[in-house]
Amino acid sequence: MKERNKPILEVKGLKTLFTTKRGVSKAVDGIDFTLHKGETLGIVGESGCGKSMTSLSILRLIPSPPGKIAGGSVYFKGKDLVTMSEDEMRKIRGNEISMIFQEPMTSLNPVIPVGEQIAEALRLHQKMGKKAAWDKSVEMLKLVGIPSPEKRAKQEPFQLSGGMRQRVMIAMALACTPEILIADEPTTALDVTIQAQILELIKDLQTKIGMGVIMITHDLGVVAETCDKVAVMYAGNIVEHASTEQIFADPKHPYTQGLLNSLPKIHEDQDELITIDGSVPSPYNMPAGCRFASRCPYAEDICATHQPDLISHSEDVKVRCWKYTDKWTGKRDKEGVV
Amino acid sequence: MLMFILRRILQTIPVIIGVTFVVFFIMQLVPGDPAVLLAGEGASKETIEAIREQLGLNQPLYIQYFEYLTNVFKGDLGVSLKNSQPVLNEILVRLPITIELAFFSIIITIVLGMAAGIISAVKPYSLTDVSVMLVALLGISLPSFWFGLMLMYFFSVKLQILPVAGWDSLLHVILPAITLGAGGAAIVARMTRSSMLEVIRQDYIRTARAKGLRERIIIYKHALRNALIPVITVVGLQFGALLGGTVLVESIFAINGLGRMIVDAIRMRDLPMVQGGVLFASLIFVVVNLFVDVFYRFFNKRIELN
Repeated sequence: MKERNKPILEVKGLKTLFTTKRGVSKAVDGIDFTLHKGETLGIVGESGCGKSMTSLSILRLIPSPPGKIAGGSVYFKGKDLVTMSEDEMRKIRGNEISMIFQEPMTSLNPVIPVGEQIAEALRLHQKMGKKAAWDKSVEMLKLVGIPSPEKRAKQEPFQLSGGMRQRVMIAMALACTPEILIADEPTTALDVTIQAQILELIKDLQTKIGMGVIMITHDLGVVAETCDKVAVMYAGNIVEHASTEQIFADPKHPYTQGLLNSLPKIHEDQDELITIDGSVPSPYNMPAGCRFASRCPYAEDICATHQPDLISHSEDVKVRCWKYTDKWTGKRDKEGVV
Repeated sequence: MLMFILRRILQTIPVIIGVTFVVFFIMQLVPGDPAVLLAGEGASKETIEAIREQLGLNQPLYIQYFEYLTNVFKGDLGVSLKNSQPVLNEILVRLPITIELAFFSIIITIVLGMAAGIISAVKPYSLTDVSVMLVALLGISLPSFWFGLMLMYFFSVKLQILPVAGWDSLLHVILPAITLGAGGAAIVARMTRSSMLEVIRQDYIRTARAKGLRERIIIYKHALRNALIPVITVVGLQFGALLGGTVLVESIFAINGLGRMIVDAIRMRDLPMVQGGVLFASLIFVVVNLFVDVFYRFFNKRIELN
């Protein structure tokens, strides 16, 4: 239990900016979270909320320019990844922290046999010989459930289906038995049946290797199935952070409530899907107050002028909302009527 | 792969026959009567007629063509009207010179072009990139006859480190090969740069980075192999332009190659020589394209020949 209390990854005030002709976009604007060994953290939010940028920032893979990590720190085993040298960072990428990307169709090099794409990481990080690395990559392909792995290893990505390619990506990411796996929407591009298999596979391997997983997704179903705790992101901020049970049973932030509310309900007769009114503020022109205020049914005057902090609501729940502070007057009800 | 090469070779046969057809009939359109030219000024009508008879020039065109075609396949390209030597012999003397020149030029095109393109692409919009691309723009814009003369002026006349003209040693190859290869190198450099920049943005390059690979391996193993696919096509096309360029460069540097031979033959209305020369130039082009296709396939196994 003691081991669990010491996080293997600690993100503090991480900020990533994109400077373009249109101005400065705060893609990730001061986020904090921790990850423990063997734990799965879900980062959820809609497209453009900064969840992918968060994961790319951790591995310092932000395309630069125009992107830049502008502040904060990412502690991994006591060392700050943000300030570490590029050489040190390379030793961590693909070795101690691995990543699976959203698009299996384009994330593998089209002209290099998949076995070689797995083997090169092994040769680099584990200092394996050519033969040993190849054998291990065949073994990895077998582990992720690819039939006749010896034959498949020699093939190029175009000879493999989407599901198989994502398995190859997983095999590649796990080849060096990393301590953290970042899975950026690993199932979005796949069929539902393949989705379940891939998630099952990640969970399975997680128990075997004991790694921490950061699951980036916009799919609350994936969260419910795989995550221990969840960080909900909105417009570059974490707006709520709690255990998975807590989030589904009793969401605190109005945005989280809206998200859960918009899920189609299987037991009810529903003609129309419920949506959250309004739209996400432009990342180039963030409002001074709460970023969700313009869409929030509870918004009061203070919400429009002052940005709330991420405060501890109870032991395991953190929420970024004025509603849970003593500044709150409570003059509107759920429908927004005064 | 072997089947691919075999089928690709078979495909060149109709192309070659097509080339003989075009070569033969285009020459018929050229104004001027070779018999008149051969007989010399003031020759009698009878003499001209006799020459026509002797060369088969008064037969119907299609018969002339079929005779030409069968002779070509027998290795007989006719006799030069100028010096009565067999055309094939004249060509075979000059062909190695032109092939050597073309070989060194295409090496310059490929090596210089790709290196410049990669250097530019690795740091886009940097000072290096801008300067390299400016030089490349100059390379495309400069006419080769002027560029060749300038090289000659600086390196042979002023610095006196390279021979002015002729074709005796490897030193003689340098200036003509640079003159001929520079334009292609500039085009290949620009193509390599844009292709690399396109590839570097791809998801699989991000994957390679996420694997912890060194930048050098990312560029040369992961990016370059993909970026080369369009570049190979351009190199193949450049080779065609290069063959055309030999005509000019061989004339400037007084090299007794195939290009200069064709120009001289055209000037002399030496029909069989022109036909033979153009036929061989086309053959070289067909063979080079064959190699380009095989390379292309090697770099991109997704290509299937239907």
